[in-house]
Amino acid sequence: MKKKNRLPALAMAGPVSVWMILFVTIPMFFIIFISFMSRGIFGDVVYDPSMESYLTLLDSTYFNVISKSLKVAAFTTLACLGLGYPFAYYIAKRPKDQAAKYITLIMIPFWTNTLMRLNSWLLLFQTSGPVNNFLQNSGITDAPVRFVYTDELVALGMVTSMLPFAVLPMYSSIEKLNKSLLEASADLGADAKTTFQKITLPLTFPGIFSAIILVFIPSLGVYTVPDMLGGGKVLYIGNIIKNQFGMIRNWPLGAALSCLLIAITGLLIFLYTRFTSIEEMEVV
Amino acid sequence: MNLKKLTAVLLMLVLVASLAACGGGGGEEEPAASTELNIYMWNEYISDELIANFEAENNCKVNLSYMSDNADAITKLTAGGGQEYDLIMTCDAYMESLVAGDYVQAINFDNVPNATANINEAYWAAKEYCVPYLMNYIYVVYDTERCPIEITGYQDLVDPALAGEIGSVDGARNLFPIALVALGYDPNSTEESEIAEAYEWLVDYNNNVVAYGGTELNITNGTVSVIFTYDGNASWAMSELGENNNLVIAPFESDPVQLGFDLYVIPKGAAHVDLAEKFLNYICVPEVMAANLEEFPYSCPNDAAVAVASDTYKNDPARDFGYKQNVFFQEDVGEAITIYNDYYQKLKVGE
Repeated sequence: MKKKNRLPALAMAGPVSVWMILFVTIPMFFIIFISFMSRGIFGDVVYDPSMESYLTLLDSTYFNVISKSLKVAAFTTLACLGLGYPFAYYIAKRPKDQAAKYITLIMIPFWTNTLMRLNSWLLLFQTSGPVNNFLQNSGITDAPVRFVYTDELVALGMVTSMLPFAVLPMYSSIEKLNKSLLEASADLGADAKTTFQKITLPLTFPGIFSAIILVFIPSLGVYTVPDMLGGGKVLYIGNIIKNQFGMIRNWPLGAALSCLLIAITGLLIFLYTRFTSIEEMEVV
Repeated sequence: MNLKKLTAVLLMLVLVASLAACGGGGGEEEPAASTELNIYMWNEYISDELIANFEAENNCKVNLSYMSDNADAITKLTAGGGQEYDLIMTCDAYMESLVAGDYVQAINFDNVPNATANINEAYWAAKEYCVPYLMNYIYVVYDTERCPIEITGYQDLVDPALAGEIGSVDGARNLFPIALVALGYDPNSTEESEIAEAYEWLVDYNNNVVAYGGTELNITNGTVSVIFTYDGNASWAMSELGENNNLVIAPFESDPVQLGFDLYVIPKGAAHVDLAEKFLNYICVPEVMAANLEEFPYSCPNDAAVAVASDTYKNDPARDFGYKQNVFFQEDVGEAITIYNDYYQKLKVGE
């Protein structure tokens, strides 16, 4: 029997596997390991097994922060879908060269650092900033309106940073849609609304699911947006984890919170795979 | 001697010479002076010119790395900071634990005579182990035109009239002390019942706060009218708004304000102690520190430097207040820090 040549497979998957084991798997196991350890007097990790961090998670404070984070992530996802789907649909219907230009426009904000973009939102909307100056000079308002450090600005920041992650997979899905199916639907007497509901939407579902996963998971753990645009007044799970590893220095609790976040994300991905097969994932 | 042999002998000589250079001579000779100094500190907190001059004078390279939180420095120190750094910046509140935990090494002050000569003893805790750099008062500043009330103590900060008017520094050990003082307790209390009461007080304070951090920007751009902030940040805000600004330091009647120090320590096992001590001695030269203060106008424990500082620095309105002596320090609260952290988290989660 001829021996199977494994070299090509090893050459292609090997580097990525080594990379993933070194920088994803091992750190992840280390986080799980730390979460079962204790905190020392100086905030160091004491290698003394303990369930304390997980028991702390039962406190209502953490339940509140998780439910709050889930709500914000859900809102961001819905907003990104609501804004992103029509936009993705519009781009997909343009000629190829035009569509490419629109895609580039979506990507342009990613050429700058996220913190720079968030800071520019603050500058734009601050009490003596251009938006307020315009509103006052044009007589729309008498006094400056406080836009900064509000939930609305946090929401705006979240949606703008996540929108491309929603548009791209949905665009890819809509673009692949077989036009003859739409023509057939029209020939058989369905109006535009029915065609959209019965043909377009179900066939672009994988793209929508990818968008949900790509937006929901990062929104759940994000901490820079609420930190900067929310004025550090309200903390979400990402901020709490960051604080445990930073200011508060309780690494085991931070690790336990991270494990919880991993569990929530894992559950979502499990649900996702129940709805769609891996081949259908429209991740651009 | 043929050519081959000659080459071999010459090569041997070169090898021996280079080994001697590497080993710094060894034996009775002095160890070679360090040519590299690794410092871990706050960003935007020391003049580039000071660093460049020190490098030129000592023919060395200074590598600065920056922390984003005081806790980062503690993490570095407790995780064997000496392997990476020769000097780490931390603050007075941690010194007791750091000395007790044997994480910092004693400084040989024979090599740092400028510190002993110029630094005010009153501002020098754990003297054997650190050199104070700059210090911060954390006090209240407000805009007389826009602030709806006059503020004469911490209790005024929970007045509902200040709803949406306050910009504040963050951190459990900056916020809880003012609540404890307002309630008449020790600002470094370790009693859970007192900390719990302080938490209730801070809930009201939090309702009035618009944003934590960026206080100086928020008062200059008009987002808030009151800030609970560091004197260096207030100084920046006052100079940014120009001479005719309406900012005043709240005329506190009896409440003390927090005074904190940023100081340099040499972590255990540091590789370039000689250069670290030279650096500490250099920053304590009055003229050197005075020049640094022009760029970073914070309060300074180096009396001789303050004496030769410019009039602009000496007459800075941000340091012109009458109750400078009525201060408290942040003390190490030991295990009680977990109580503070739990309540701080609760405050921020907003139950």
